[in-house]
Amino acid sequence: MSYKKLIVLAAVAGSLGLGAVTMAASPQQTISERQANFKVIGKSFKAMLDEGRKPAPSIAVYRVNADAVAKAAAKVSGHFPKGTGSEAGVKTAALPAIWQKNVEFKGAAAKLVAASRKLSAAAKSGNVDATKAAVMGLGPTCKGCHDPFKAKD
Amino acid sequence: MQAPLRKTRLWDLPIRLVHWSLVVLLPAMWWTAENDNLSLHMTLGYVVLAIVAFRIIWGFVGSSNARFSQFLKGPGAVAGYLRGFFSGGPAKAHAGHNPAGGWSVLILLALLAAQVGLGLFALDEDNVGSPLTSMVEYDTARSLAEIHELGFNLILAFVVIHIAAVLYYSLVKKDRIVPPMVTGSRDLPDDVEAPRIAPLWKAAVVLVITGAFAWWISKGAPTSLEQLNQPPPASMEDFM
Repeated sequence: MSYKKLIVLAAVAGSLGLGAVTMAASPQQTISERQANFKVIGKSFKAMLDEGRKPAPSIAVYRVNADAVAKAAAKVSGHFPKGTGSEAGVKTAALPAIWQKNVEFKGAAAKLVAASRKLSAAAKSGNVDATKAAVMGLGPTCKGCHDPFKAKD
Repeated sequence: MQAPLRKTRLWDLPIRLVHWSLVVLLPAMWWTAENDNLSLHMTLGYVVLAIVAFRIIWGFVGSSNARFSQFLKGPGAVAGYLRGFFSGGPAKAHAGHNPAGGWSVLILLALLAAQVGLGLFALDEDNVGSPLTSMVEYDTARSLAEIHELGFNLILAFVVIHIAAVLYYSLVKKDRIVPPMVTGSRDLPDDVEAPRIAPLWKAAVVLVITGAFAWWISKGAPTSLEQLNQPPPASMEDFM
């Protein structure tokens, strides 16, 4: 084996190892990451609702927040690996139903993604009324997933 | 030794209506919150807002024994009353709140005002906002929602103490304080000065003012006609 090949092999092995390390985020990390992610959705959603109450809502505000929601929404279903429920020993409102009825959970998360894409598209189109309607379309996807899968605080 | 009894108007109609509507509304507020009926919860909340505002104003312009100036007594009077209360001697007859009860009126009004105030800015976990939510940041609105939820426990504690006290008066002291809160009248010794009852038109005027105030708040406290005609804050129905 040439010296060069050895270096390549070491580099590959090294990056695989590094990859394995980054993949294995602790349940605590995952939980705080997903909570921060949901907060992004909540904040952006509120910003759009507030904007909708202004006499002349700005489409730019909708665009920024719609993109933030879409980006965060796409991460949701990957934020719930097994072992990140209450058994992780950290405070989480994630109910066991997430893993027991995982298909339904993924479906509920997909609804959020679909609604957020619709919202992004509406904001891009520049039509404020259509964007406002799309914001309202986002609302039920929060409740639709919270009711079966999130503990009441 | 005791003076002859005389039928006396003790509680005016507004005070009784405030009292009994809270008896109905407080459980309703709890029930609607627990069962996620936030739109009804908010509607009833505006009614509570109007009632609390009414009672506060009535505390300045209402019947003599409805006024804060009349029923809020100094610490000496309260201590003296409580001493007499626990030593079991006959209480001096009076036509109004006793010195301890007077303060409890103020405490309840303060608790309710704070609770309504918190609710007006709160944001629930599904992003259902209240009329004034847009005036505060997301994190603030979420924290206020949590304090709002905890705040109910204080009101519950107040109600428990209030009912316990009423039962103690009624059953142990044989002091029939409940019927007058229903009928408005009580037989009192005729040397007890009767309260000056305020005319009902005055209550109607105050009610119109406080009702308008609650309605204005429910619209998000608009400061122009343009704002008033803006869509209201997102409600649960919008999300259905």
